[in-house]
Amino acid sequence: MTRARHILVVEDSDEDFATVLDAARRAGMTNEIRRATSGDECLRLLHESAPSQDALPGLVLLDLNTPRGDGRDALREIKQDDRLRALPLVVLTTSANPRDLHFCYASGANAYHVKPVQYREHLKILEHIFTYWLKNAVLPN
Amino acid sequence: MTDNRTESAPLPWGDGPYSIKRHGTTLTTCDSEPVQTPGCIQAHGALLVVRLGDLKILQASENTGQHLGESPEQLLGQSVARVVGSANEACLREMLGREPLAGSAAYAFTLPAREGKSQLDVCVHTVEGVAVLEFESTGRTAGQVDANFFGLVTSAVSRLQAADGLREFCQRVTDEVRSITGLDRVMVYRFHADNHGEVFAENKREDLHPWLGLHYPESDIPKPAREIYRNLWIRPLPNAAGPLVELVPLANPDSGRPLNMTHCALRGASVMYTQYLANMGVAASLTMPILVDGELWGLIACHHLVPVHFPHQVRAACELLAQVASLQLKSAERNEQLAYRLKLERIHQQLVAIAAQEGDLMALSDRHPSLLDAIDAGGAALYHQERWWCAGITPGVAQLDALAEWLDQRPEFASTTRPAFVTDSLSRDYPAGAEIAGVASGVLAVRVSHRRRDLILWFRPETLQTVNWAGYPHEKLLVTGPHGSRLTPRHSFELFVESVRARAIPWSTMEVDAALRLRFLVMELVISRAERLAELNVDLTSSNEELDAFAYVASHDLKEPLRGINRYAHQLLESAQALNAENRQHVDSLMRLTVRMDSLLDSLLHFARVGRTSLEFETVDLNEAVAEALEMIGVRRTENTCSIDLPRPLPTIQSDHVRVREIFSNLLSNALKYNRQACPRIEVGYLAPDEPGARPNAPAEANEQLIYYVRDDGIGIERRHFDQIFRMFKRLHGRKEFGGGVGAGLTIVQKLVQRHGGRIWLDSTEGVGSTFYFTLPCPNLARS
Repeated sequence: MTRARHILVVEDSDEDFATVLDAARRAGMTNEIRRATSGDECLRLLHESAPSQDALPGLVLLDLNTPRGDGRDALREIKQDDRLRALPLVVLTTSANPRDLHFCYASGANAYHVKPVQYREHLKILEHIFTYWLKNAVLPN
Repeated sequence: MTDNRTESAPLPWGDGPYSIKRHGTTLTTCDSEPVQTPGCIQAHGALLVVRLGDLKILQASENTGQHLGESPEQLLGQSVARVVGSANEACLREMLGREPLAGSAAYAFTLPAREGKSQLDVCVHTVEGVAVLEFESTGRTAGQVDANFFGLVTSAVSRLQAADGLREFCQRVTDEVRSITGLDRVMVYRFHADNHGEVFAENKREDLHPWLGLHYPESDIPKPAREIYRNLWIRPLPNAAGPLVELVPLANPDSGRPLNMTHCALRGASVMYTQYLANMGVAASLTMPILVDGELWGLIACHHLVPVHFPHQVRAACELLAQVASLQLKSAERNEQLAYRLKLERIHQQLVAIAAQEGDLMALSDRHPSLLDAIDAGGAALYHQERWWCAGITPGVAQLDALAEWLDQRPEFASTTRPAFVTDSLSRDYPAGAEIAGVASGVLAVRVSHRRRDLILWFRPETLQTVNWAGYPHEKLLVTGPHGSRLTPRHSFELFVESVRARAIPWSTMEVDAALRLRFLVMELVISRAERLAELNVDLTSSNEELDAFAYVASHDLKEPLRGINRYAHQLLESAQALNAENRQHVDSLMRLTVRMDSLLDSLLHFARVGRTSLEFETVDLNEAVAEALEMIGVRRTENTCSIDLPRPLPTIQSDHVRVREIFSNLLSNALKYNRQACPRIEVGYLAPDEPGARPNAPAEANEQLIYYVRDDGIGIERRHFDQIFRMFKRLHGRKEFGGGVGAGLTIVQKLVQRHGGRIWLDSTEGVGSTFYFTLPCPNLARS
């Protein structure tokens, strides 16, 4: 069995990223978690690893409202790139705007979650995401 | 001219020549009288008809003996030289050879006075192969000097030129003609478009009754008479009641035809006309036409109360004046029309400018100037914003509605060149117009909007009611003449009444043009306003979108730090050992506050969206909406913890299902929440407009609508709070009482009701319960 792939988390808030790490630990994840703080950085990391399929993350967690390169732009670019399109991508954002919802699914996002304000709820959602995408779902490769 | 003859019964004179003397009394209608071939002349002069080729006498008036010294029998077949002498015959020959004399009679020479007689002026003209010689007394004896008529006319003409405006011009014409002729009454008689006439200017003997401003029926100067005045510059009748003499023979022996006397000064007058003058007490008349572009504009009509003599020079002077007046009147009338047109244009532009400033077409009808200050009309009406705006005298609203309905179908409005409906007799096309004929016989209508039925209408009253008719005012002059009552002014008036019933003064082309231009100006205004509205709408749409985005971004940016605070507070609690009980409580509060802040932000976002997103109307069974609302708030009607009662099923209406459900869920949840009863009793029902039942505090417009209510037996609300409870985040109770809540529910309910075009209000008694009433009239879909 090959080493578990890493998870790429696009998140500009340190607190929210810390919560992601908390949830990963609680869910018993061993995958490496890498962080990008903007859409641009996310794309740069992905393009760097794209030549080797094995170097790509197993899951991308994307926040929409990030500085320097909006999460929406990153989403659109990932889903238009033949080499990146198959990456499982989960949007996790504060925005409950129906327009964002529609845009994300239409652009090819695999799931859309709204970040709750309450820490416990937030943890719970993240744990569900990890459990579902990294343990239950069957992913490419 | 005798256009009626083909249809009428055989004439009494059969195929033979007509003579007033023999046949005049048999006439029944003016239009059948052969006024150009009367067969007779006035007896104060004599007439000879000579063959153009050899100047032999063909016909002579039967009174030649009296004026010329020899009877017709002695003269017929003789050379004209026998009467005028060879020198004058040569002169005559020379005249006839030199110029055409067919259009009007020319002065030829004066015959010296015979014993006991005055000199005779001889005028000549040609017609249908003969020369006609008319002999009239000069009215003076030998040696008397003529007045300088040429000088009189020249100075008269220069005074006419100085006149300012049509009315003054015509007034001066009467002044000048009276000063030259010395007759008792001189009038300018103007024909209107329907051929009835009006005394437009008058100069008269002081003691006579003024006729200025009186109107006369068309039949007073019938068509044959009007036709003659298009070919003739002067018509003297020095003694209307004087005897007539026939021509001998009545018919030209060469052609067998009667003499056409159109240009004869001596022509025997129509029996109709002489009778008419006699009925008015007039003994002599002199008439000159005023022609504009070959059309008979009017007459210069002169009356004298005693028989008079019109010497040739006076006639020539008057004839010249009439010709000059005709030429100058054309420009005077043009100037006046131009002034009228400029006035229409100016006022219409003012109106539209005011309307543009005030942003409303109503300015057309209720300001100064108004529509009525421009086009000459009795009333004007504007249909705009689904109601009528009237000025002056107009039909009633119901009649206007019916008229507009009918006009809506008229093909005239589809015209690409002149989209106007124009009539001078509405009831001719529109039967229901008969009942408004008094105020609206004349209608000029333009449509200023295709989509809505916006109209501008001008109304003209029935002519009959607007003018000062001659006829009735002069009843005392009525004398039944030898021909019965047919020629009395009263009779002609009654005939005329029939012809102008339900008819108005026609609209001129210029007025219709002005109405069409106004239509353009108004449409431009409407279009520019529509463009402005469209721009505003674009602005509004984009600012709505921006607001929407702003609300989400704001809530996102505000929630992020909240989430961080909540997280740290949680971590503090986790490391519980570090906290004493008091601090632990503080941290708990910190977390609860972040949660509360979160729900406040959600409510705010929700409220912002409720006000802006469009509603989706569909058929909604309110019973279902209530059932779903109960389910949403976790209540089952069958549970025994509370009782939700619907006294009768709710109706099914057009509304936005999701929003209506939200209205009910909010109201029901409040009814349960603010309640101390062990088993709260809630009633959901409605009141129809015509049903009995109290509607406390209901706004006036709600009385016509279904009123829905949610009634509880809860804690009630003080009257002074009735308004406050609908305010955003306004709470009447502590945060922890009655299950908390953010205080946005009723604000959102109110907004939802308003989005349905409805109103919400309440009635409540503290400790007894509250009832929330609301309406959902569901505004016209087309307009939303």
